[in-house]
This record gives sequence, C-alpha cells and structure tokens, in this order.
Amino acid sequence: MIYLTRMLGKPVVDAVGETIGAVSDIAITSGEVFPRVTALAFSGPDKTPFMLSWRKFVEDFDGERVVLSAARPDLRFSYLQPDEVLLHQDLLNKQIVDTQGMKIVRVNDLKLSESRGQLRLLGAEVGTRGLLRGVSPLAERVVVAVAKLLGTDVPEEIIAWNYMELLEKDLSAVKLSVTHKRLHELHPADAADIIEQLTPAQRAKVFEHLDADRVAETISEMNDEMQADVVEDLSEELASDVLEAMDPDDAADIVGDLPYDKAETLLRLMGVKEARQVRKLLGYKEKTAGGIMTPEVTTVTADTTVQDVIEHLRTGAAENENIYYIYVVGPKNALEGVISLRDLIVSPPATKVADIVERDLITVGPDDDQEQVADTMSKYDLLALPVVDEAGRLVGMVTVDDALDVLDEEAAEDLALATGTDPDASAVREWVGRSWNWMIAWAVSGVALAGLLRFFWGRPALFTVSAIFVPLVLRLSEEIASHSLAHMIDTAGGEGARVFLRRFAVDLVAGACLGVASGLVALGLLQAMHEPMAVSAALSLAVGTTVLALAFVGAVLPPLLRRPTGRWRASSTLVTALMGAGGVLLFMYTTVILQNAIGK
Amino acid sequence: VENTTEKTPKRTVRVRLALFFAVVGPGIITAMVDNDAGGVTTYSIAGASFGYSLIWALIPITIALIVVQEMASRLGVYTGKGLADLIREKWGIRVTFYLMIALLVVNFANTLAEFAGWAASLELFGISRYVSVPIGAFVVWIMVARGNYKVVEKLFLIASTIYITYILSGWMAGPDWGQALKEIVVPPVAGQPTAYWITLVGVIGTTIAPWMQFYQQSSIVEKGIKPREYKLAAIDTIIGCIAAVIVATFITVACAATLHKAGINIQFAEQAAKALEPLAGRYASIFFAIGLANASLFAASILPLSTAYTVAEGFGWESGVSKTRKQAPEFHGIYTGMIVVAAAIILIPGVPLIPVIFGSQVMNGVLMPITAYFALQLVNDRKLIGDAVNSKRYNVLAWACVGFGGLGSAIMVTSMLFPSLLG
Repeated sequence: MIYLTRMLGKPVVDAVGETIGAVSDIAITSGEVFPRVTALAFSGPDKTPFMLSWRKFVEDFDGERVVLSAARPDLRFSYLQPDEVLLHQDLLNKQIVDTQGMKIVRVNDLKLSESRGQLRLLGAEVGTRGLLRGVSPLAERVVVAVAKLLGTDVPEEIIAWNYMELLEKDLSAVKLSVTHKRLHELHPADAADIIEQLTPAQRAKVFEHLDADRVAETISEMNDEMQADVVEDLSEELASDVLEAMDPDDAADIVGDLPYDKAETLLRLMGVKEARQVRKLLGYKEKTAGGIMTPEVTTVTADTTVQDVIEHLRTGAAENENIYYIYVVGPKNALEGVISLRDLIVSPPATKVADIVERDLITVGPDDDQEQVADTMSKYDLLALPVVDEAGRLVGMVTVDDALDVLDEEAAEDLALATGTDPDASAVREWVGRSWNWMIAWAVSGVALAGLLRFFWGRPALFTVSAIFVPLVLRLSEEIASHSLAHMIDTAGGEGARVFLRRFAVDLVAGACLGVASGLVALGLLQAMHEPMAVSAALSLAVGTTVLALAFVGAVLPPLLRRPTGRWRASSTLVTALMGAGGVLLFMYTTVILQNAIGK
Repeated sequence: VENTTEKTPKRTVRVRLALFFAVVGPGIITAMVDNDAGGVTTYSIAGASFGYSLIWALIPITIALIVVQEMASRLGVYTGKGLADLIREKWGIRVTFYLMIALLVVNFANTLAEFAGWAASLELFGISRYVSVPIGAFVVWIMVARGNYKVVEKLFLIASTIYITYILSGWMAGPDWGQALKEIVVPPVAGQPTAYWITLVGVIGTTIAPWMQFYQQSSIVEKGIKPREYKLAAIDTIIGCIAAVIVATFITVACAATLHKAGINIQFAEQAAKALEPLAGRYASIFFAIGLANASLFAASILPLSTAYTVAEGFGWESGVSKTRKQAPEFHGIYTGMIVVAAAIILIPGVPLIPVIFGSQVMNGVLMPITAYFALQLVNDRKLIGDAVNSKRYNVLAWACVGFGGLGSAIMVTSMLFPSLLG
C-alpha cells in the first residue's frame, strides 16, 4: 500500500538517475470509483512547480523515489486539467462529507494502490491510524502493537472516492462518475443532519449549489432552533424563495423566530399568496392546532361531480401538502363534510360529491392544544384533521407529519410520565431528569443568598431560611400537577378500579421517593449553609412531607375531576395554580408547626 | 389587501443598534474572560506590590491585545474556519498534533486555576470548597452541555456585566487619582527592582492568552459573521479589549490604594479581597470577592469547551454539544474530563493553589507567541483571505506586538524557572 503522506517530499529521479525535484502533489481524474492517478506535481530547484503526465513519464514509484521514464530534456510538462483533483491541495487535511457514514470527517491520509502499472486512489483515511501515521509512523506501529497485545485492533477507516463530497472544491465542474454520491442527492433528512454540523460559511457554500426547493426541504428537516438561524444567513432573495417553497406552517414557524425587520423584509419579497398565508398563521399561538396547521386545504362544494374534483386536484391543488382528504364546504367556507381520495377513486365519475360525503366529522379548534390534536389523530387513525373556528369555518388542517413531530416533542416528556405503570421509580427519574438544571440553578442561588444573608445580617431566623425552599416546593407542585394532568389526558375515557389502584400505588411510591429525595437535597443544602442540625432537620422534614402530601393529592385528582363525559371539571392552568398555592401554604404551615416544636 | 406603500428601510438608530448586537458578543466575551482567576491575581499583585507604577503598561498591552484578537477575528470572518482548522490545513498533522497537545495542557492548567479561584472566593463567604467546587463544576458542565450557542452567549454577556463589581470595588478603595494619573503619564520606571519587571511581564502574559485567539475565532465562525459585517466585529473586539483593560486597571487601583499603601503583600486574589475589608470597607471586599467568583466560574465554563472544540477541529473528530457521547466521544471526553479532573484536583486536601495559578500563567506565556506566530502567518496568506491580509504598516505593528509579547514571555518564564538568573 502507498500512502500520500509517505510520498510527499520524496525525490523525483529522471531516466539517467538525476534528481530533478521532490514530489509535491499528485492528481487524479474523477471518473471512476477508484480513480487513476493521472499527473505528478513536483517542485524543482528554487521551488519551481512542475507537472507531468503520470501515464507518459512515470516509470515506477518504489516507496522511496519516483523514477521517470525519460531524461530531463525530453520531459513535456503539462498543466492541471479541469477534471483533475489534486490529492494534497484539495483533499489532504481537508474536511469532507462522508456521504455513506453521513458525517463530516477530516482526511488524515490518502491510500493508493498499484495494480498493473497503474496507481489508483483507494480512498481517504479518516481514522486514528491515519492521524497517528501523520504524527509519526513509529507512533502508528506502537499503538497498533499495543492494541494487539490488548486483543483489539485499530482498523483503518477508509472512505472511497464515490462517497466523498468535497466541501472546499466544487466538483460540479468536474465530470463525475454516475456512482458519485453528492450531498444534495441524499434524503433531505440525512442532508440536514450533515449540514447542521457545518459552519455557517460552509453551509452557505453548499446551499449555493442547491435550488430553492431542495434548500426548503433540507431546512424543514433541520432542528427547530437552527432553522431560523440558517434562513437568516441566506441571501434575502434565496431566503424568500425558500420560504415560498416550504409548507406554509413550516415557513410560519421560521418567520416567527426571525427578528422583526428581517421577517418583514422576507415576507415582502415573497409571493403575495404565500406571504398572506404565513401572516395568517403567525396570528396563532405556538403549540396549538393553529400553530401547526397548514392553510393549504383542498376544498370543493357539495354539488361538484367526482370527475370535476379529480380534475381540480390534478390542476389547481397538486402542490398542496396533503390531498388525501378533500373538504366539502358551503357558503363562507363553512365545513360540511369530507371525502377521501379513496372515495373519489372508487366512485363513478358522474357521482355528485353530496352522495359520497361523510358528514360525521372530527374537528379541532385553532386554539386547541397541539398534544390533544395529535392524540385525537392517533386515536381515530386519521391522516389529517380539519381545523374549524367558532363560526364553523374551515381555517386549515393539521397533517399527520406535523402531528408526529408533536408526539416526538411531547410524548418523550408527557406520555412517558402518563404511562408511569412501571413501579421502578421511573417517574421519579423522569421528574428529576426534567427539572435538574432548574434545581441546580436554584440550589446555587440558595447557597449564595444564604451566604450573603449571613455576611450582612448574621444568622437568619428559621422562617427566613425557609423562604429559600419556596421555589423548590412551587416547582415540585407544578411537576406533580402536570404528572396528574398527563394522567387525565391519558385516561380521558375513564379507568377501572384495578387500574386506578395500581396507578395510585405507583404514584404514592414515586411521591414518597421524591419526598425523601427533596428532603435529602434540602438537608444537604442546609448543612452547606452551616445551619444547625435541628433547623436542617425541621426544614427538610417540612419539604419532604409537603411533597408527599402533594403527590397524594395529585394521585387522587384525575378520578375526582373527570366527568362521565370524559371532559374535566377544571382547566390545566387552574389545577397547576391551585397545586402550587396549596403546596406553598402547606409548606409554610408545616414549617411554623415545626418551628414551634423545636423552639427556634 | 397587501401593503402597497413600500417603505425604504431607513437606518434608524434602533436598526443600527440591532445590527451591532447581532454581531457583538465574541469580542466582548473573550476579552472579559481574560480577567479570570489568574488575571485578577496578577493585577492584584501588581497593585499591591508596586502601587500605581505599573498601570501605564496597560496601555501598550491594550494595543497588543487588540491587534492579536483583531487578527483572529478577521481570520474567522474571512475564512469561516477556526484557527485550529486553518493551522491543520496549512501545516498538516504533525504541527497540529503538537500544538493541540500543548494547548490541552495549558488550558487544563488554566481551568485548574479557575476552580482554585472559585473555591477561594466562595470560602470568603463561608462556603466550603467541598460544596462549592462540585456545584460549580456541575453548573459549568450542564450550562454548556445543555444550552445552545445563543442562550450561552446571552448568559455570558450577562456575566460580563458583573465585572462592574471590580470598578465599584476600586472606587470604594478611595484611590488617589492624581497620583495614579501622574504615574500613567510619566511612568516611574527609573530605578525599579527586578521584581517590578517580572511583574510587568506577568501582566503581559496573563492579558494576551493563547486560548483567547482560538476561542474568539471559533465563536465568530459559529456566529456566522460575514465580511460585510466585519467592521462591527472589529468594534466588538476593540470595545471588549478596552473594557477588559479598564476592569484590570480598577483591580490594580483598588489594591494600590489600599494594600500597597498599608504595605501588605499578597500572593492570590482571594487574599486581596480579604485584605480589602479593614482598609476599604466591607462592601469593597464583597464586590471584589463576587467579581473573582464570577470571573472564575465564567472562565471555567469557557476554557474546557473551547479546548474541546479546538482539539476536535484540529483532529477532525466530531464535535458539538448537541452530539451524544457515542457520536462524539473525544469531544465529550475532553470537555467533561477537563472539568472533572480539574475539580477533583482542587478538592485534594492541602493542594497548594498558588503554584497552580502561577504555573498556568507561565504556560500561557510560553504558548502565546507561538500561536500568535501562526495567526500572523495565516493573516498574511493572500490565497486564504485575499485582500483582507495585513497591510505593510499593520504588519510592522503586529510583529512588534508578537515580539513584545514573546520577549515578555521569555523573560517571565526564564525568571520563574531560574529565579537566580535575574537576581
């Protein structure tokens, strides 16, 4: 095997044995999976660069020197061809995209192989082996030997030419083999994963070569937090084209995250129709049906024939996000019913829509919580849900892809909580996991505050110290309330006595664990503040019992608040607020009792 | 109906401010972190030992700092790549490897110093280091591991404003401004002892630290600042450097007005905070200690992250806080490892904190001229940044600054390693 790093700097010797320079680079033509080396670049005396055809003039490379087939005066120097890529200049040490492994890597070395008199590029070495060899070949040998002793192996990581996408050199001018995988040929979701890792400058370079539709697809697949940043970095012209090409709901999410001036500029550059749709969607709150719906809905009136509807789909509505459901509307866009694509296809062309329409509809309002919308969709196995305002007018629809995103977002948090059927305290883990950054911030500020208090006013009274724990109690009651609410949503249809008892037991166990845990945290914190043991014990006991009591309330709330119809007697905000207020009152009450008990 | 009265966007003050704040951040944050535990200690020692007589030096140091940081940010803006990235592409694996190892060691020593500063400053408030260091390490780790760049940057900008406590503290110390001004205009350099010159070099070494070039360039790249916004980025750098040196001045002044006057010598910043209490009042002391705690934690969160990014960038490992441990094992290893090991070392009972701070400043001094040399080579590479290369006149200034820093560092290191040489 021949490595580029071992070749660079080796002498170039002509046919009569005279050294005429040192290897500085080699070029490949890019037409094959294992491309042939076509040219040798070397620097002569005084660093003058020369280039030679490999096929015509290179006799042999024996690992130590390149031997030419002609004497110095007979050499015909050439120039770099447009379809040639230089291995040292364009590839070595550069970042490339591994389009098979879907990640960005740095080229540590290039591996070549000689077969039948031709030198070919096997691939780019991107692993530890190449890195070590670059530092020193001895380091590579030592590490490989040590690894062997330990019974493992340090494999080479080689990326073949057809899976390399160069970030520095634009290969679109180069004739590539059909198998060469380009970044923009990847699935948008895969391309998005890679592009997220690039710096803004590299990203801009990649986007330059893509059309607006492709950029729109890719950006739609990126992290929500990144989308606005990326759009902000595009040129205004491209940005507005990209927003136009996106589904209006995705575009609205992004525009909503942009600074006001930028958002206005882009909306003004967009097409009138698309901009209006986006503006309308911006009026709805995030995390509601209105926030995730698309206004692109295919609508027909009841007196249309099936033939006409199909024709309408072919011509006018083809770019709509979802055409599996066609909504039937009356005057003023009032929603009357729905027909599915299936209904259309199986019905004779002359049938009137009125004859096949399904009038029994499941709808949601624009202000409904997105999680509820997603649950409704999964419950009835729908591909889309119509969104209807108070007056019964169709304002948009939520499609299944957006609902899946919601489930992704929220299921991770809430449904795991709601299905807390596993009594191995996973609920506690979940609670702690969700609130730990907050807890740390609180604990640090608590200790700092106590330190400052002591510094200025000496030892504070127990009741003053207890104030530090109010945020903790508030936060925990909020968590317990949301846990309880998740149960309500999960068991909206009611639950049997056995299921209830089981869940009740699990909740109490989890509550007890949480109570003990928060008590211990309080104890540790108070000790860190150098509070006396009696005070520490009293306060941590107060925290622990309050949490346990709250957990008990949270566990019995769902059946109490559920009406037989499956609706609830209280809003989620009210439950959370009441739990919070109750928790703090209970905590202060317990503190006062304990304070009297220990006489401080 | 669409809005048909198209307004031509006027560049109002608000718009201009918004533009500036879109670019601001990297320069100010980097410069502010410069006043970390090691920095505060050095400036305090300078003030306590030599009064106002070293403050004049902060003016040429500011210029050198601006020049070095400006070049790094220019490289970032025009290439869209980090410094390690550029060094790897221009000089190859071997040079990068040794440089990265050196940077890793130096930045680790600095992280140690930050945790030492954090532990010492909170002990002034009666909080044991066995409580403060684990909490501090955890906060640092979680803040960066869980936050995205925008959030972290905002937090850092807020933390930057806490440095104002030093200015308050300096003011409360009741300095003799007339005397200070006199010694700035006419530096009393004649007949100073050797220790004066060594301290001067220490101030240079601590102010122009190598990690700052890497960090500022990477944050500029991360922020995606474009060449047409470059002027604003340069202003950001200049404001940051000047603000940082003003803070440094006040630290020196606070110690000069009190400790120097009372003839108290100190070895570590926390001693300065403690010693300020009887001399300048309780609040001056509290402000000084809060400033030190903030600076230490602030720097302790930036150094490991900056190191992890830089090393991963140089070696081509996957990096980024959003990657899982499995996807980016080296990145997470470096980042978490630096924090955990540094915190653990500080918690070893009886570990001496002063040599730790001292050592980290020496290492900064050794590495600074080397990284500045690389940056200078790159910033003159026309193939890389085209017409944004240094002008001839600017090059003279830049080489002078690097030479000034290099010479200073050489003297400092020699004197620290062979104290007998300079008497």
